[in-house]
Amino acid sequence: MDADVAIGLLRTMWRIRCFEERVVQLKRSLQVHGLIHLSIGGEGVAAAVCGRLRDDDAVYSGHRAHGHAIAKGAPIDRLMAELMGRSDGVCRGLGGSMHLVDAEHGFMGATGVVGGNLPLALGTALTHHLQEADRVTVVFFGDGAVQAGHFNESINLAALWRLPVIFVCENNGFAEFTSREEHSTIERVSDVVAPYGFERTTVKGSDVPAVWEAFGGFLDAARGGEGPFLLECLTYRRRGHYEGDQQKYRDAAAEQEWAERDPVAQLTRRALDEGWIDDEAAAAIEAEAGEAIEEAVRFARESPFPEPAITAELVYAR
Amino acid sequence: MAREIPYIAAVQEAIRVEMERDPSVVFYGQDVAPSDEDPLVQAFGRERVRVSPISETAEIGMAVGLALAGYRPVVELLMAEFMLVAMNQVVNEAPRLRYMSGGQVKVPAVFKAGYGFTAGWAGQHTGSIYGMFMGFPGLKIALPSTPADAKGLMATAIRDDNPVCYLINYLLVLEHGDVPEGEYTVPFGEAAVRRSGSDVTIVATGWTVGRALAAAETLAGEGIEAEVIDPRTLNPLDTATILSSVEKTGHLVLVDQGTRHGGASAVIAAEVAEHGFTSLKAPIAQVTALDVTVPYSEPMEAFVLPNEEKIAGKVRQVLGEAPVAA
Amino acid sequence: MQELDNDRLVWMFTQMLRIREFEERVKRTFEDHPGVIRGHTHLADGAEASIVGSLATMAPGDQLMATYRCHGYPIALGTDTKSIMAEIYGRKSGLCGGYGGSMHLVDPSRGFLGTSGIVGQGIPQATGAAWGAQLRGQGQVVLGFFGDGASKQGAFHESLNLASLWKLPIVYVMENNNYNVSTRSEQEDANAANGEPLSVKAAAYSMPGVTVDGGDPIAVYETVGAAADRARKGEGPTLVESKVYRLSAHGNIIAPPGVPLHYPEHEAITTFGNREEYEAALRGDPVPRFRARLVEQGALAPERADEIAQEVHEEMDAAVKFALDDPYPEPEAAARADFVYA
Ligand SMILES: Cc1ncc(C[n+]2csc(CCOP(=O)(O)OP(=O)(O)O)c2C)c(N)n1
Ligand SMILES: Cc1ncc(C[n+]2csc(CCOP(=O)(O)OP(=O)(O)O)c2C)c(N)n1
Ligand SMILES: [Mg+2]
Ligand SMILES: [Mg+2]
Repeated sequence: MDADVAIGLLRTMWRIRCFEERVVQLKRSLQVHGLIHLSIGGEGVAAAVCGRLRDDDAVYSGHRAHGHAIAKGAPIDRLMAELMGRSDGVCRGLGGSMHLVDAEHGFMGATGVVGGNLPLALGTALTHHLQEADRVTVVFFGDGAVQAGHFNESINLAALWRLPVIFVCENNGFAEFTSREEHSTIERVSDVVAPYGFERTTVKGSDVPAVWEAFGGFLDAARGGEGPFLLECLTYRRRGHYEGDQQKYRDAAAEQEWAERDPVAQLTRRALDEGWIDDEAAAAIEAEAGEAIEEAVRFARESPFPEPAITAELVYAR
Repeated sequence: MAREIPYIAAVQEAIRVEMERDPSVVFYGQDVAPSDEDPLVQAFGRERVRVSPISETAEIGMAVGLALAGYRPVVELLMAEFMLVAMNQVVNEAPRLRYMSGGQVKVPAVFKAGYGFTAGWAGQHTGSIYGMFMGFPGLKIALPSTPADAKGLMATAIRDDNPVCYLINYLLVLEHGDVPEGEYTVPFGEAAVRRSGSDVTIVATGWTVGRALAAAETLAGEGIEAEVIDPRTLNPLDTATILSSVEKTGHLVLVDQGTRHGGASAVIAAEVAEHGFTSLKAPIAQVTALDVTVPYSEPMEAFVLPNEEKIAGKVRQVLGEAPVAA
Repeated sequence: MQELDNDRLVWMFTQMLRIREFEERVKRTFEDHPGVIRGHTHLADGAEASIVGSLATMAPGDQLMATYRCHGYPIALGTDTKSIMAEIYGRKSGLCGGYGGSMHLVDPSRGFLGTSGIVGQGIPQATGAAWGAQLRGQGQVVLGFFGDGASKQGAFHESLNLASLWKLPIVYVMENNNYNVSTRSEQEDANAANGEPLSVKAAAYSMPGVTVDGGDPIAVYETVGAAADRARKGEGPTLVESKVYRLSAHGNIIAPPGVPLHYPEHEAITTFGNREEYEAALRGDPVPRFRARLVEQGALAPERADEIAQEVHEEMDAAVKFALDDPYPEPEAAARADFVYA
């Protein structure tokens, strides 16, 4: 971790944060519709993981995908247009928040079915293995996906075939409105894969340098064709499960607690302490991100809704 | 040059030919070549021919991921029912990803399985469950009824840029027929007219094509000329050929090894009722399996299934019926 | 756990012999009466000790669920072998009236809640039955049987997680015969490929995992019994890996109607050309091994063992004869609406 890296990560995190905070407003004013899951509080994982990847590395995500897409390099204006259902959206308005895809930047897709992306990632990792390429596949999933059968099927196969895939679990301790201890006796996801004998580690997701380091080690090995790996990041879900969630099932965190768990605040503090940035620069990063998001919203608003007729040709590839 | 080979060999041949032709074709599944002596392993190596665990969700999902990344996987699933434990991947991931991505990605994967093994395999291994896949736009369904089609449809399935449920009928595996050598494809969405006739149209798939043809022979002895149409793929479905046949004959009998409700023949009946109503001189009739789980014991199993007599009987009934009021 | 006195040991031996003899009759039917058995049968020869050792732990009200490889359980539970054979022959007096066949035996009156022909799918069902036992609160347990291959099915993972979380009274008995049809475990299982026992998977669910010699009925009894005791006390599930060798092929050959069916040789030979592996397994055959042990320790006189063998032989003669003579069901019975919907 140095100044350049930290500044890059802060930029990405702020873009995610501003994007999602803006989505909150747009959702309330019904300009974004459908089911929206935000990753506020977890930006550090997206930034540190995707920040190390190349466009030809593949990333899969799930229902909480905005941050991963942004960090992987998907254009924010087209992401915003997608959320607003416009024709210039990354998926031409056909996918929406839970189904973002930007193949050009290796964001191979988000799926709305919990854990449905895990086996897909194996397939892509297998192609990289077959091509003897130094490309790596990363799949993001939540702690809730770990109890699903396809998780275990995927873990066994990845281990058996030693695929160059990095499983990145964002363990926020909740699946929807249920806390982890009601879903499993095993607190740490990295312990669930213990029997399969591959490298795994758990870090605090709010400690962005730790995520950066841990992921970097796995990535180097995976580039060399090794695998699989599991990186568990303990994250904090600042907002409800979805936008509109009343959150009666948990106590709101005190502001103090949030500040400790906020990856953006933490990395900013570190950067200030190290002298990598000053207060002014910190404020500028935030402001830049905010402006970029406003620009994205303008772009999205100007983009027309798709013609209803475009849909038929997309059902089958020709 | 064509030569006679069994249906099952034709399927394998298509996979081999396509693997030779295109290095992006990979083939895997349970018990696919566990021995290194296996000819496919010998020909293409362990990387492209793999044996996988009994993990259908991972096996099928992995095919989707391979396809997204530019490969053309063929997954051996043995029996169509085994896809049911991985229903999310078959119907909710594979066929939808292209559409939801606004056309950015494609999923050229083949889910190869057998169905309809009404040979005493009892309730969980005998289903003809293709009808349920028809409700998922983006998913193609091929049902070869002859060795030549078995080869040609497999080759087309592999070359197709979409997920395909390629379903062999287990009752046909040892049927012999002429199969062209080398590369050979059969287009999707083109029904085959297996027999022409002017009195009644019979639409049948898979194993029931043979039963329908046998019934047609019997009926010919009675002066009834049946036209037998095999759609070959249910999705895309060649409704044009069926409709023009019905226009000629005015009568339609649908044969389906699957159950009656929610099945393929019900979909075809609806298409003809909507678009061919004025051609019909009598109500459409269906000869399907009964709406029960296939029983084990032989006499009960036979009772449940369509057969030549039931088809011929239904044709006679349809031809004897009063015209549909226009 | 009950002490195994001589009577109980002899009972166990008798059940093992009955299962073996039954399976041999099923196999022989393909030659002696071609066409009588249709579809696919899977034999339990080689797993008798594991089955009987497990079932010997059952107390009244305990239940079990299993797979398509299911003939052995009802035999040991006391279901009439005539009705089991009649089911396999597709006859009217069959255990399931000819509707289910070899893969779908069920005898709820004896706690045998049924099987799934789909790999792994019985595991969640057994788990649900264990929840029922927990709700009843009478200290009953469920035994959930499945193969080694089934542990790669998502349902395994989902079920074991839940059972551990809810401390369900279930013993998961994995009969590890090291093959899924013709695939060897180390070709499809990451643990096996690492040379580890499959019981290590239990750690993912904070559940005890034990491996036992499934050819030794007493060892199985003690292992499954300890796990069952634990479950009865409300301490939750256990994964028992019972190592067995299946002495027949996975099943009879698969062929369309009209082609005579038979049992091929074991896949060790047909797929891998490894006759030695198979012959070594035959040398360790659990049935004669247990007999020798009981005779040696004086629990069973050789003459009595011969008598038992003779009785079992006669029982199975009668089962085959009964099943052959029994009529087929009426074809129209296939349409019984009260079987489609309760
Ligand atoms: C197979 C499936 N079951 C249920 C749901 C409904 N669902 C959507 S998100 C979610 C919780 C997922 O929790 P987790 O994986 O921890 O991700 P998080 O939302 O915490 O980021 C559930 C249950 C679903 N989408 N798919
Ligand atoms: C979901 C599913 N996939 C595949 C099959 C086909 N099949 C039947 S038995 C079997 C092998 C199972 O191996 P294992 O679980 O070890 O049990 P064993 O037969 O060895 O007792 C397979 C692959 C099936 N019945 N169900
Ligand atoms: Mg979560
Ligand atoms: Mg096995």
